[in-house]
Parts: sequence; C-alpha cells; structure tokens
Amino acid sequence: MNESQPQTPDMTYDEATKKLEEYVSLMQDDQCSIDKLSEYTKQSQQLLEFCRRKLTETDAELQKILADIQKQN
Amino acid sequence: MNNQPRQPSLFPDTPSGISLCEFNARIADCVNRQPQLTDEWVIAETSDVRVKANGHCYLKLVEKGPDGNTVTAQADAVIWNREFHQLKVKFEQGTGAAFNTGMQVMVKVTASFHTQYGLKLTITDIDPRFTLGDMARKRLEIIKRLQSDGVIDNNKQLPWPALTQRIAVISAPGAAGYGDFINQLQNNAYGLKFYTCLFRATMQGNQTVPTVLRALNAIKRQADLFQCVVIIRGGGASVDLNSFDDYNLALEVAQFPLPVIVGIGHERDETVLDHVGAVRVKTPTAAAEHLIKLGADQLALLEQLKTQMETNLQHLLTRARERLTYLSQAVVTQPLTRCQQERIKLNQLANDIHRLSSNHIMQRQHRISEHRQAIVNLVNQRLTLSHDRLTHLTKVVELLSPRNVLNRGYSLVRHHGQYITQASQVKPGDLVTVHLKEGHFKSTVTE
Repeated sequence: MNESQPQTPDMTYDEATKKLEEYVSLMQDDQCSIDKLSEYTKQSQQLLEFCRRKLTETDAELQKILADIQKQN
Repeated sequence: MNNQPRQPSLFPDTPSGISLCEFNARIADCVNRQPQLTDEWVIAETSDVRVKANGHCYLKLVEKGPDGNTVTAQADAVIWNREFHQLKVKFEQGTGAAFNTGMQVMVKVTASFHTQYGLKLTITDIDPRFTLGDMARKRLEIIKRLQSDGVIDNNKQLPWPALTQRIAVISAPGAAGYGDFINQLQNNAYGLKFYTCLFRATMQGNQTVPTVLRALNAIKRQADLFQCVVIIRGGGASVDLNSFDDYNLALEVAQFPLPVIVGIGHERDETVLDHVGAVRVKTPTAAAEHLIKLGADQLALLEQLKTQMETNLQHLLTRARERLTYLSQAVVTQPLTRCQQERIKLNQLANDIHRLSSNHIMQRQHRISEHRQAIVNLVNQRLTLSHDRLTHLTKVVELLSPRNVLNRGYSLVRHHGQYITQASQVKPGDLVTVHLKEGHFKSTVTE
C-alpha cells in the first residue's frame, strides 16, 4: 500500500493518462533540461501509481454505493 | 348413421325435430375421417396457448385480416401430450424460440367434430422452418425500421472510457450465466477491480421485454455512476430468444447513453438486440473477458508509458553524463591543444617572415642591378646618340659652311664689307671684292 498520497486526488483517470503522455513526450525531447527532469520524473511516477491503483485497488465506498442500489432493485 | 325415426309429436300442431345429438352426429360424419380434413398442413397464428398439468397443450388457431387485428378465421386446437412433448422440442430446436402465443406456424392438423365438444383441430406435427422464416422476416423488418430511424448504430458509436470499471448488469440472479460473469470479473488474472451492480430482469418468456426495459430505465436514472451496461443470461439455452426481437427494447438500447454489451448466450442467428448493442458477445464469459481485456490493455499502456519514460530518462542522463565527461576532458586538453596550435602558427609566421623578407631583399637587389644596368645602357645610348648627332651636325655645319660653298666653286661678293645677295644692293661702278676658294680679287660692277 503506498504511503504517499498522489498530488492529484481529484483528477480523473483519463486526465491522468493524458498528463502522463505529455510528460513522456517532454522527456523525449533532447533539449529537455536536466533540472526539469527530476520534477517530471517525480510527477510521472505519482501519476502512474494513481492510475495503477485505480485499476487494481478496491474503492470500498464505491462498492457500498453499488451494493445499496442493487438492493433497491 | 343412426337414422332414428322422427318422434311423433304428442300434440299434432307442434313441429318436430331431431335431437342435437343426432344432428351433431351428422356433422361428425361429415367431418371426421374426411381425407381433405385429415393431416393437412395449415398456416395460422397461435393464440391463447395453455399447457395443462397433464401435458396437453390447448390453443386457438387464428387468422387475422390485413389490419393485423381483426380475426377472420379461428378454430380451437389441441396438441396431445405425447405429440406435444416431441413437437415442443422440435419447434424450439428449429426456431430457437419456445412454442407460444402470437406465433405464425405451419401445423399438420386433422379436424374432428365431437358431438359434445364440437369442432377441434388436432395438431400432430409442426414445421419450424415456417416460423423461423416468419421470425427472420419480422426481425429484418424491425432492423430496417431501426435503420431508417437512423439509430441502429448509435450505441456502437458511443466512446468507451479508458477505464471501464463500473458496470450495470441486467440479468436474472441465480442464473448460471450471471454467476460465471461475476466470478470471472472478481478473480481475473490481472488483479483488476470491477464494480458491478445487478438490475434484475426476467430473461425469458413474455415478461422479458418489460422487465429489461424497467432495468434499463433504473440504470439510466443513475447513468453517471456507471460506465457501461451488460445484458446477459444463462449460457447454453437457446430457448426463447424471440423476446429479444422486440422493436421497443432495441430502440431503448440503441439510444442508451452508456455503451451496452449484449451477451444473451447463443450461437445461432442474431436477435435484433444483438444488432444494436455496442458490443455483441456469445456468452456471459465472453462479456467478462471483453471487460477484462479493456482493463488489461490499460495496464499494458501504463507499463508502456513507464518504460518509455525510463528509456527517455536514461537517454537524457547518458547524454548529460557524456557531455560532462567531454567538457571535463576539454577543460584540460583544450588549452594544451590551443597552445600547441598557436606555437605552430608562430613558427609558421616566423618562417614566413624570414622567407618573405629574404625574397623581398633579393627582389630589391635584383631591381637595383637592373636599374644600374639600365642606367649604364641608357647613358651609353645617349652618348652614342649625342656623338652621332654631333658628328652629323659637324658634317652639316661643314657642308653649310661658306668654305664648303666656296670649295664647290661659288664665290662670295662683298661690298663695303657686306655680303651681297641681291643685284639691287649695288650699282654700276661699285667696287666689290670677290672671294674665291683660294684668294680673292677686286671687281667693278659694270651693269
């Protein structure tokens, strides 16, 4: 379980992947400054974690909401 | 054939008649076992189909007018349990639908008239191909109608979210298909999490359309919460798919705001519903696989981004490192190299200066020699010229000298010391001196 909270809790999955692709393309540029590199890497890693967690970790709150709806129907 | 004699009436004025039984018997005679009314294939529509506990199937056969509502012909019919047992299976296998009310059928009937029960048609066989053809025709009509409504591809054209995790499921709980579906999603190999919510419906019989529509409406009210809809039912059973050939149901799915996966579990011809869903799968398991694959693709994409990022990072760091190495070496070697280069340049310049100045001096010396020679030559030339000229002048002077004139025999005449060139300068009687080449004499002018 990851300790550090991502800096993007309100981002949607789609927004996160889009931002990731932006970072990758920035880092593809040979002119990318070394100073920025550290920041981009850090941000990208956080975004990757955020996305992966969305896919593979259970959102208990969401589960409860859906269980309630199912009961109603 | 009981030709009973008429009963004589007790009262002479009342009319007489035969018994109903007798009359019905006559009808029976006409109808029963007539070749034209036995084992005839008849086209009709089923109505009021009821299967009793004893296994007999009672129904009405009807024919409707062009408006589709007015009944123009009808007859009661029965399929006895032994036949029905076989016919039911034959029909279901042949059409993929259960034998039910409101179907166009072709049946082999035998007419029988019973004095007590009246006319009944006994059905002994059925040709499912007729019904199948009719169902196919109706299905095609509905599809055409949806096409002309312009909606048939609407659900297919909805964009899928990158992450499809929240799924509304329409199914009958307890159906094996539903259980398999949930199981597969919850135990997938990638560790993907899915969130499902079941909206119950009857997935066969005449309650199918209303219950599925009700479920769809319930989902629509919560459409923000879900990302897609899955309609599934028990795999294997190919019975009663006819319920899914419904225009209203198809219309609702076609225009649904979420993409719909249709997996109503059969191998055969597609129902109308199959045509309007965004994705069509053959079994509930395949529906689960589809969703898992979407998630797996996302994981793969994230992995790819991660790899790309790491590669780019490595690349950038390597280049930076190389550059740094180069620079650090250059800081040392560059000055040395430069000094060397400059030294060579200086040597070169020194050589050049030496060479050039030598050349220059030599050139000048050469020029001086040349000038000297030229001066000498010129002076000589001038001397020669002057000499010649002098000689020439001397000659001319000599030639022109009076002496030379005298030598040539001319004489000079002087008068009072003046040389005379014109005769008018003297008058007769003047005394003149005549000079000759050698000597002179005096002479007097006479005229």
